Parts: sequence; structure tokens; C-alpha cells
Amino acid sequence: MNTRREFLKTGLALGAAVSLGRWPAPAAAEDRASGAPPRSRLAAVRDGTRAAMVDKALEALGGIGAFVQAGQTVCLKPNIGWDAPPERGANTHPELVGHLVRRCLEAGAKSVSVFDNPCDQWQLTYEHSGIEKAARDAGARVVNGKDESLYREVEIPGGVKLKRALVHSLVLDSDVLLNVPVLKHHSGTGMTAAMKNLMGVVWDRGFYHQNNLHQAIADFLTLRRPTLNVLDAYHPMVRNGPRGRTAADLIEMRTLLVSTDPVALDAAAAKLLGLEPAKVAYIRIADEMKLGTMDLTQVEVLRFSLA
Amino acid sequence: MPGGRLKILRVAAAMIVFSGLTAAFVDFRGAVPVAVGHELASIQLVPSLVALVAGTGLAVAALVVLGVTLLVGRVYCSAVCPLGIFQDLVTRVAGWIRGSRRLLPYRPARTWLRQVFFWGVVVAVAAGGAGLTLSLADPYSIFGRLMSDLVRPVVTLANNAVVGIGTALGSEALYRVAPPWPGVGVLAVTAAMGVLLVGLAAWRGRIYCNTFCPVGTLLGLVADRSALRLSLNKSACRKCGDCLQVCKAQCIDLRAGTIDSSRCVACYNCIGACPEQGIGYRWRWSRSPQAKVAPPAARAETAVASPPRRALLAATAASLVAVSGAGRLLAATVGGPALALKGSRAICPPGAGGVDRFLDRCTACHLCVSACPTHVLQPAFLEYGLAGLLRPRLDYRAAFCNFDCRKCAEVCPDGAIDLLALAQKQVTRIGVAELVVDKCIVKTKGTDCAACSEHCPTKAVETVPFGDNLRLPQLNPDWCIGCGACEYACPAQPTKAITVVGRLVHDQVVRRVQEKATDPRRGGAFPF
Repeated sequence: MNTRREFLKTGLALGAAVSLGRWPAPAAAEDRASGAPPRSRLAAVRDGTRAAMVDKALEALGGIGAFVQAGQTVCLKPNIGWDAPPERGANTHPELVGHLVRRCLEAGAKSVSVFDNPCDQWQLTYEHSGIEKAARDAGARVVNGKDESLYREVEIPGGVKLKRALVHSLVLDSDVLLNVPVLKHHSGTGMTAAMKNLMGVVWDRGFYHQNNLHQAIADFLTLRRPTLNVLDAYHPMVRNGPRGRTAADLIEMRTLLVSTDPVALDAAAAKLLGLEPAKVAYIRIADEMKLGTMDLTQVEVLRFSLA
Repeated sequence: MPGGRLKILRVAAAMIVFSGLTAAFVDFRGAVPVAVGHELASIQLVPSLVALVAGTGLAVAALVVLGVTLLVGRVYCSAVCPLGIFQDLVTRVAGWIRGSRRLLPYRPARTWLRQVFFWGVVVAVAAGGAGLTLSLADPYSIFGRLMSDLVRPVVTLANNAVVGIGTALGSEALYRVAPPWPGVGVLAVTAAMGVLLVGLAAWRGRIYCNTFCPVGTLLGLVADRSALRLSLNKSACRKCGDCLQVCKAQCIDLRAGTIDSSRCVACYNCIGACPEQGIGYRWRWSRSPQAKVAPPAARAETAVASPPRRALLAATAASLVAVSGAGRLLAATVGGPALALKGSRAICPPGAGGVDRFLDRCTACHLCVSACPTHVLQPAFLEYGLAGLLRPRLDYRAAFCNFDCRKCAEVCPDGAIDLLALAQKQVTRIGVAELVVDKCIVKTKGTDCAACSEHCPTKAVETVPFGDNLRLPQLNPDWCIGCGACEYACPAQPTKAITVVGRLVHDQVVRRVQEKATDPRRGGAFPF
């Protein structure tokens, strides 16, 4: 398979052909087959409802069908980290999750599964975030993220610090990985968006904290890059993150970013929080590992305002 | 009312109480409404009395129980007390296993032993050891621990074994839960109690209730004076013994033609069993119980009110006051439970007010342990000192106290954990974190972490710039409420860099008010 060999040569996945063989290559790899330099695309939409903004962004990137094909299984990973209601902005908004579940099913997805490995007690978090109900109502399976038996130990092919990890089987086995984070300030890493959200698919987050948090966050992408990243920046938490104290920690931004490149998306997200992407260590490391690009001048940014 | 109908009522009430309480105690996934456990626990005699002393209840339930007992005998023991109902089930199952129900012939009351246990409890309570004594002696609390500490983990294991079936059917309704085993010490104490109770019940029915249980003895004293008592119609009785076949209290003396009301638990089995319809309620109101019915021999055995006993009562009351004073004096001088707490880090839940107050009131039923969604509430073994045996404590190795949760206070039946308004609970300080930055990962490994600050609900732990683009935790103890989120999350090894030290007396922090955040973007709506 030509495209895959090419893909590996670019060093994007740093080996482990066996692991990679189980998933379709990221869309970016298809571009490379033509020999043209890869160019990440990022759709940025503002001033609409979450549903309208994500629809606009998907339309600009080729429609949901470009990412979810009929008969595929989808794992949708929102941020469901904290026992907080939607208005506190600590988790991805349930409206966005429900809408995306419906879009996936409309595209013919065989199943859509939603889970997270929360920091707070998981049943309370699933319930109070509003995500459990929104996802179920939209037709998704809502799966326990606190059941160790659902995690499998895998090798992280390009991991520098994170070389092995217990990863939720939904992430390992689903055809499509839809990463749906929320934008927040983070007292440890500076910010959290796409890449940091993927910390919630491993069992032992403590390992990240013990072994260079930023490097481990970047390392995970060498196991699996999300098919698509959808960032909820409707009312980002700009301080006291990632848990937040009150709704006063949020500002209304009414923005949503979508990209297949989690590094580019996080770089743009950093700018939304007034941060320099290179100062957020995991963004810089991921860029250096060529897991995506943080140089937004190299990214095709599609800007829309629905106002 | 015919005996059959009385028994149906008794069994129906027992089933409601037993199934409701069992569900609340065994609930391993927060499925049972808080009100079920709380209401059914609140009608129990000892919690109701403790609530009166705690000032959180008027002991209405206790007064009703005592009133009903004075009217119709120990209905409580068969229809309301979950441990009594549990023993009936054990007796029944033991009968099935044996293939036949064992005949329990009449046995004279073990009056001496009963009195020793009862007055022992009374003296211990008066001496200031109410919490520990009632924890060990209250039948409702013993039942709670059996269910919460032993049955709940087993039911969880059973649940986990069948989760696969649900998953195969494409349902997420069933999910795995980590079995909530208590520590070895607690498990040993509860299991020993369980073995004793099951053994006694299988051997001799209600022998525990009629020998050791202080509630049984107290209600027995009252029932001995009850207005209506189950009695044998001596002229109808042919001494066939059918009633003995079904009596679990060994209280029917066919030879004398009497039923010992102090031991009869009002199960009404005998009424239906008597082929002559010779057993029923009779009006027996009298100030001097059994004097007219019991032969001298039985009187001596049951040792009910008589002049010497009245003198004994008076002497006891006087000595109780003395013991109480002495006990409290001893506690004050030697330090009592507080002494055992020095250097101990056991932390009691918000709403408990403080450790001494909590240990005085909590009877260790473990309803809060079962209800706690994070499982941070764990029964203590010796973490509070011996005086705090079995009482719940917050174990920050297991989890941390959820900021927006008050479940423990919502279920607590005896006022040991006050139900604070949520806003008040969120400023109630049960402990204060201590940060040793030299143990912090950010310093020792030179990498970002801030797991503590991440989890902190009040942001008493924030981060400040450190070294080369790192952020180091910084603690402001003024905002810390001691919830333990930081300690739980801290990944430092072998010892954590941030730990919570409990406060013996809880107090309040000032709620921190912050202005609305400002837009951090530089360069328009899309600054890229």
C-alpha cells in the first residue's frame, strides 16, 4: 500500500506498522501521496450556536461524510472531567456532543460510543455534565470509563516517556476517533484543548504526571491521532482551570474550531487564551515530533462568522 | 383481629423495612434514593434517641416505639428492627438447610445475663462512651455494618460477574464497580459479629435479642407492662406444643400456661399455629406485671419489678450520675478520645462539627459509607483511636470529598452529620492541606504537574511561575477546606507532597469572591 509506506516515511507515526495497520491512515496521509507538502486545515467559526458552528465547520472541511463512513464505529471523546453543570464550562457542552452524535449516525455510523475517564466521581460527572443524557438521547452508547477491564495495555510506538499505557478499548477498536474537547485554562499545562483531552482515554493519568506531563501528552498522539478534533470554545474557562470555581471564570467567545490536526488546533486554541503556542510545552514538543504543526502560517485557516 | 391477619401485617411491615434498608446499605452504584435509607433508619430506636440528644430530632420515632411497645409488646423487634428480621431469615434458612424446623422448647429467661449487658451499656453510655458503646450494641447499626461492609462487596462482585450479559445485549445498564471492601481490621470486627449472630440465630432463634441486645432488653422491660399481651387460654390449651414449633423466642411456658412478654417479639406465629385458637391478645394492664398470672417460680426467674429491684433502680440511677461525672472527668484529664487523636490524621465528614462531637453521636451504621458516591468515607479501624472504632472517616488514599455533595448528611439518621446548606458545606473546613514543595514533582523532576491545583475546588492551591517555563503549586491555607482532592491527586512518591491534616473542631473559611474574568485574546476574534 503506497500511501501507507509514504505515510510512514514522513515519520508521522514513527514506526509500529502493526498497530497502525488496524486503522485507516489519517486524511493528511492521503494528501502526501500526491507529493504535495502536507497542509493542515482548520475551520474556525464564531457567533453561532454550537450546532450551527459545527455544521458550518464540517461543511467547509468536506462534510461529516469525509470523516465518518457508513458502517463505521465511532468513539466520541468529549471532556467529561468534572462534576459540574454545563454553565460552568468545565466539560464539553452536551448540546455539541448530542449534535455530533446525530451527525455521525446520519452519516451511517454503525455505532457511536461516548466515554471519558473523569477526575471526579464518574456517575456524578456523566450525569451533571448533561452529556450522558444528551448523548443517549441522540442515540449514542455511553460507556463506563472507570472500568479497568475495558482498558488494554498497548505499546505507544513513538513514545519518548509514555512507552506503554492502558488505553480504553473504544479508542483502540473504533474506526473513527472523534476528539471533542472544551477550551480551558489549566493550572499545570497552561491550557487544555485537543491533545490534553486525550489524557482521558488512558487508565493511569498519574503516570503522565510522574513522567513529564507535556512529553507524555505528545507521545500519545503516536499511538492514535484523532480522525477529527472539534473544540468547544463557546464560553472558555480562562482562569482557575481545569476545574473552575464559578461561571465568573468563563468569558463568552462563541467560537468553535475543527481540524484533523490536533497540534494546529491547540496552537489556535492557545491564541484564543492569549498564549503563545510555543510556550505551551506539549504543543511545542508535538510540533518538534512532527505530530502536527503549531505554525499557524503553515495552516490553511478557514474563517467564518455566523453573526 | 385474627392471628393470621396480624402476622400478615407484621410480615408486610418487616419486608418493607428490611428490603428498603438492605437496598440502601447494599447499593453499590447510587441507585437507591437517599430518602429510603434515611427514613427507614430514622424510625429505628437508637438513632432516634441519639438524634434527640444531638438536637436534630424530637425522638418521635423512639416515643412511638416505646408507646407501641407499652400497648402491644415488642412489635418493633419483629417488624421494624432490621437485625431482628435478619435473624428470622437466618432461622428460616437454617431450617430449610436442616430439612426441618428445630423445635425450640421453653427456656427460662437468662435474666442475669440480660441485666448485665443492658446495664453495662447504660453505664458505659453514661460514662461518656455513648458512641463506641452504641456502635457495638445498637442492632440497627450492627445490621447496617453487616450489609455495608460484607454484603455490599459481595453483591458488587456478583454484579461484575454478570456485566458481560448486559454488554452482549448491547446495553450499558450494567457496569463494573470496584468491590468496596473495608480494611482488614474493620472486616474482621464486622465478620466476627456476623458469624456470632448467624450462629446464634441458626441455633436458637432470637436468643441474641433476648440475651445481649440492649434494645431488646429495654423493650422487654416495657413490654412486660404492656396493656395488651399475647396470652394462652389455659382452658383451651391441650399442650400439643404446636406453638412451640413456631416460636423463635422460647418464651411460651406450656407447663405454667404463660407467655413471657419480656421476651415475646410479637411475631404472631403462635396465634395461627394453635389448633384451639387458644392464643391471642388479652388486656393485662396492671402496674405490677405478671403478678397475677405468673407462678412464684416464674416470677423469681424473670425478676421483674419488686421492692428490692426498685431499690436497685434507684441505686443504679444514682451511680449512673456518679459514673457519668467520673467518666467525663477522666476524659477531660486523661484526654480520652482526643488523646488518641494526637498525631492521628483521621478526618470526619463536613457537618460532623468536629471529631469528638462526631464520635459521641455516630453509631457506625455505615449508611453514609454506602451512600458516599466517591467512597472517600471508609469505616475507621483504629485511625481515630480505639474510641472511634468503626466510625466513618475520610480516606484520601481512596478518594476525595466531592465539593457539591452532601449525601452523607442526607442519609445520616442520628444527627452525627448535620445537613448543612450546600453553600455552607463548601466553606466548612474539616482539615487543612500542608504542602511540602521539596517533595513536589515540579521540583524533584523538573516537569510540570499541578495535579493538586487542578483538582482543588476552591483554588486554595494555585500555581506560580517556576524555573524554566514551569509552574509550581502554591498553597493559600485560608481557602482550604480539607476536601483531600489535592492529596488524592498528588502523584509524588513515596510520600505525597501535599497532605491534609484534619481539624479536631471544624470551622469555616471565607468564601472567595472573584470578579468576572476578562477576555485574554490579543488581536481580534480570531487571533491567528
